[in-house]
Amino acid sequence: MNRVLIARLIDLVIVLFGVSVIVFLMIRMIPGDAVAIMLGANTEITPERMAELNRRVGLDRPIVEQYLLWAGNALRGDFGTSLWTGRPVSSEILLHLWPTLELTFLALLIGAVLAVPVGCLMAQTRGGAADVAMRVTAIAGLTIPSFWLGIVLILLLSSWAPGFASLGYVPFSEDPIGNLQRMMLPAFALALPILANLSRLVRSAMLDALGQDYVRTARAKGLAERKVVYKHALRNALIPFLTSVGIMTGYLLGGAIVVEQVFAIPGLGRLILGAIAERNYPLIQATILVVTAGFVFVNFLVDFLYIVVDPRVRA
Amino acid sequence: MSRLAKNKLLAFAVILVAIQIILAVGAPLFAPYDPMAQSVARRLRAPSELNWFGTDQLGRDVLTRILYGYRTSLIACLLAVGVALLAGGTLGLVAAYYRGWPDRIIMRFMDVLFAFPVMLLAIGIIAVLGPHTYSAAAAIAVVYTPIFARLLRGPALVLCESEYVAGARAIGASDARIIFLHILPNLASVILVQTSLLLSAAILVEASLSFLGLGTQPPTPSLGLMLSEGRNFLLLSPWSAIFAGFAILFLSFGFNLLGDALRDTLDPRLRGQP
Amino acid sequence: MVRSALRTALGAGFMAAMMASASAQVLEIGVDNGPTGLDPHLITAFPSFMVVNGNIYEGLTAIDKDLKTVPGLAESWTVSPDGKTYTFKLRQGVKFHDGSAMEAEDVVATVKRLLSKDIASPLASRLSAVDSANAVDATTVELKLKEPSAALLSSLATIAIVPSAMETNKDALQKAPVGTGPYKFQEWQPNGFILLTKNEAYWDKGMPKLAGLKFNIVPESATRQVGLSNGQYALLPNIDAATALQLKGKPNVKLSETMDLAYTLIGMNTSKPPFDNPKVREAVNYAINRQEIVDAALFGAGVPGGPLSPALKSWALNVNQFACYKPDPAKAQALLKEAGVATPVAVSMKVLPRQDIKDIAQVVQEQLNKAGFKVELVNQEQGQFIQDWRNSNFDMFASINAGQPDPDDYFYRTFRTGGSTNVFKYSDAEIDGLLDQARTLADQAARKTAYDKVQQKLACSGPIAHLTYGTLFSAMNSKLQGFDTMPNRSLLMLRNASY
Repeated sequence: MNRVLIARLIDLVIVLFGVSVIVFLMIRMIPGDAVAIMLGANTEITPERMAELNRRVGLDRPIVEQYLLWAGNALRGDFGTSLWTGRPVSSEILLHLWPTLELTFLALLIGAVLAVPVGCLMAQTRGGAADVAMRVTAIAGLTIPSFWLGIVLILLLSSWAPGFASLGYVPFSEDPIGNLQRMMLPAFALALPILANLSRLVRSAMLDALGQDYVRTARAKGLAERKVVYKHALRNALIPFLTSVGIMTGYLLGGAIVVEQVFAIPGLGRLILGAIAERNYPLIQATILVVTAGFVFVNFLVDFLYIVVDPRVRA
Repeated sequence: MSRLAKNKLLAFAVILVAIQIILAVGAPLFAPYDPMAQSVARRLRAPSELNWFGTDQLGRDVLTRILYGYRTSLIACLLAVGVALLAGGTLGLVAAYYRGWPDRIIMRFMDVLFAFPVMLLAIGIIAVLGPHTYSAAAAIAVVYTPIFARLLRGPALVLCESEYVAGARAIGASDARIIFLHILPNLASVILVQTSLLLSAAILVEASLSFLGLGTQPPTPSLGLMLSEGRNFLLLSPWSAIFAGFAILFLSFGFNLLGDALRDTLDPRLRGQP
Repeated sequence: MVRSALRTALGAGFMAAMMASASAQVLEIGVDNGPTGLDPHLITAFPSFMVVNGNIYEGLTAIDKDLKTVPGLAESWTVSPDGKTYTFKLRQGVKFHDGSAMEAEDVVATVKRLLSKDIASPLASRLSAVDSANAVDATTVELKLKEPSAALLSSLATIAIVPSAMETNKDALQKAPVGTGPYKFQEWQPNGFILLTKNEAYWDKGMPKLAGLKFNIVPESATRQVGLSNGQYALLPNIDAATALQLKGKPNVKLSETMDLAYTLIGMNTSKPPFDNPKVREAVNYAINRQEIVDAALFGAGVPGGPLSPALKSWALNVNQFACYKPDPAKAQALLKEAGVATPVAVSMKVLPRQDIKDIAQVVQEQLNKAGFKVELVNQEQGQFIQDWRNSNFDMFASINAGQPDPDDYFYRTFRTGGSTNVFKYSDAEIDGLLDQARTLADQAARKTAYDKVQQKLACSGPIAHLTYGTLFSAMNSKLQGFDTMPNRSLLMLRNASY
């Protein structure tokens, strides 16, 4: 088990190194320079002033030197400062991290919590038309565009419950009720595909479990049916569930980018889009690296839990 | 699920996808208007006998633009997934066939690409290429390449060990011949299922990118763009955004259902799994 | 709404201000973009200016609702007969937000800061005529110019006065501005909101009436609209006609409108074919139907416009005086034939990524294609567009520009040979002569005559086909009083607003 883990850990380091190189190269290839963009169209400026501004933000140095400087500092946990505001990049990321984390966590929670009863309910009806209907509904839930759903939800809510503050963001620590009130719609919009996905997992695990020998045995031994099914089936569903959490984290991060835009939530997605728009190199680099590292780490954790849960992998 | 129900579902999925493809291909035949024809006097209209799905902010017929939009979205996504399949598939098969260093280098690189969240990498790639239908397609192709590589490498590894491939080698078949004539056909069902599912996902990614202004650009009609433009007029005339949203949903739904039904039919081992 | 505003306010930690005036409220404002920095001498983006200018900072002069230059931090001023020395008398009792008094040396430091190479302010060109600034006494400042400058007073309205301690400081003001304005900086959460609170020590007694301003950054138009109609936001400033149309008639929502100083335009590159030929540029003007653009893209809320905004009543010529403003595709075709270019003339048009400009570009594309052109639209990301604009890398482009209250400000840098924003590489001896002459004239009537000639010439064969001036709207809660939309999009009037 330790050997497997160590091998995965080495993979993790190599992947992160590769990611940092790709992020760096990609950002250098984005056309348009930061100073010109900051100035905007129709701003008058002399070439000398442009050169001065470039020097101010350190963009006049050779690219390799810029990279080495950045990579060296990044290893020490210093991501530099945001190009124009001079705020430390790390604090910018931290500031934007919480709303996104909360959003993805809530979406995952809603999806997972609702998936159990929905999946069980789905398992009760088996065969024929009900089966097909269930499946079609689940796939529809999976393929509904979350940003579209978000906009429709905002519109519906505003006509049903005008005066209900549903936009923007307040930190949970400042105003728990206001926070949850605002996060409800975006989290639900994000959670629907997860619910669709997980409930199908639960359902098939339930059906499998009902057909297993040990469940029949358990039943024969006189255990309450409900308890038997839940215990075994949910345990069975755990492994595919864990596998999909890794994949779903990727989906959630992508979905969050668009949903944050719709609901005006100051999260990482907004930070990245804004940073790219203004060519804020230090900020783009660090944000993409941190988000990707987080994603890689979640997948690593999933692998780890997988090993713990499923003894067969240990061999 | 009974065999019959399964077949019915597959037939339903095939018909659903086929209808949408026919609508896209035959858009010039079916569309009641010119997709570019503007009419200020008739803009932001609700559905009527003249314009079944209403008109957009420049008075263009929404139904017409949805039909043409199907084209843009389908072309972009077929292209993206096709390229990903070609590149990822080749890399995966080569890695499996040669093992050793090629395998390690290729798969490490695929791991790195796979490490990025899909939207994040796509946004980065489009930032480099500039917003366009084909940039979005290229971005989707890149992010899906490692998926195909990983998908095909596993089963290909098993196949390479088989007596069947050993036999082909013994009679002196070239590497390329073995890979493409002996190994690939055996993976057809896996490829078919995954391609269909990824097409479904690609349609949503393309729509999200267009929604952020990074995909197809006006005046080209595309489903994501229509939704993106229509959302500015939601309180006034939500029709363009609503119908474009449904079109995206149906298209993505069709391919997902198709992949799902195909998996059930072609691959008994995966039965019942989502 | 009240409760949530209160909660936010308390959370943000300025209980004192709330308690001092229980009736006054923090105004919740919905804007599409947040500032990229707060140093008034380093910012260029409109979302930054909107927050900073007039609210946090003030200049020596100010521009009022009718675009007239009025006293700001300077109570009065005199100009020497040769037009090269300006003497400003400063308002007394003005304090910066840090409590220090605003005096002549602060004004001098501000001018030095703006012109310093180390600070590298992009606004430096607005003071390019200034030779030196010195403090005569604590409340008197003298500006010496290299040459007379007719636009100096209106330019000064956009130069924020900062404390002299900030003269060489490059970073502090970007994060924590210190001005003299009616509101002072409280908190900035990037991509979330920016909060300003009432300046209790503001020199204009009784102002401001609100407890503070909270600019909520909400990128989605539909979301802002819902936010206003459900009462979460009380003001959406400077919105376009399409948005205004959707909010019109909603309960508890009212609109204010004015003629926009900003104009939409088609720019043409005169350094290469086909637009190096004035006849081709003229053909473009004949091909374009400006009223149709107003109807289609601006929802009828706007007017066809010439080189100067109709909002500049004392300068702008009526568009009826421009022959080419009568749409005539046949005439356009004839001009192309005269010019000897092969038709259809294939050109690409780069489009600024804004919904209204994208719509306008599509309408113009249709019109030009009917008159012998074959236009391909190239939709670019903002950064790429700006880069290509600056490098003159375009055949034509569709864009929107903020207008200036003085014609010299706009004309000289845009149309003068070698002008700093003359990306069209336009060069015309007659225009150069008129512009050079007009900027040194003190007599209003003589300036007007010169600028009339400039407008007449630029309208049909200049490098810019000016399209439209839109009606600019603000949508607000009907309880909001005392706020009006200004043609230059300034939010100066927020000091008068009450809610």
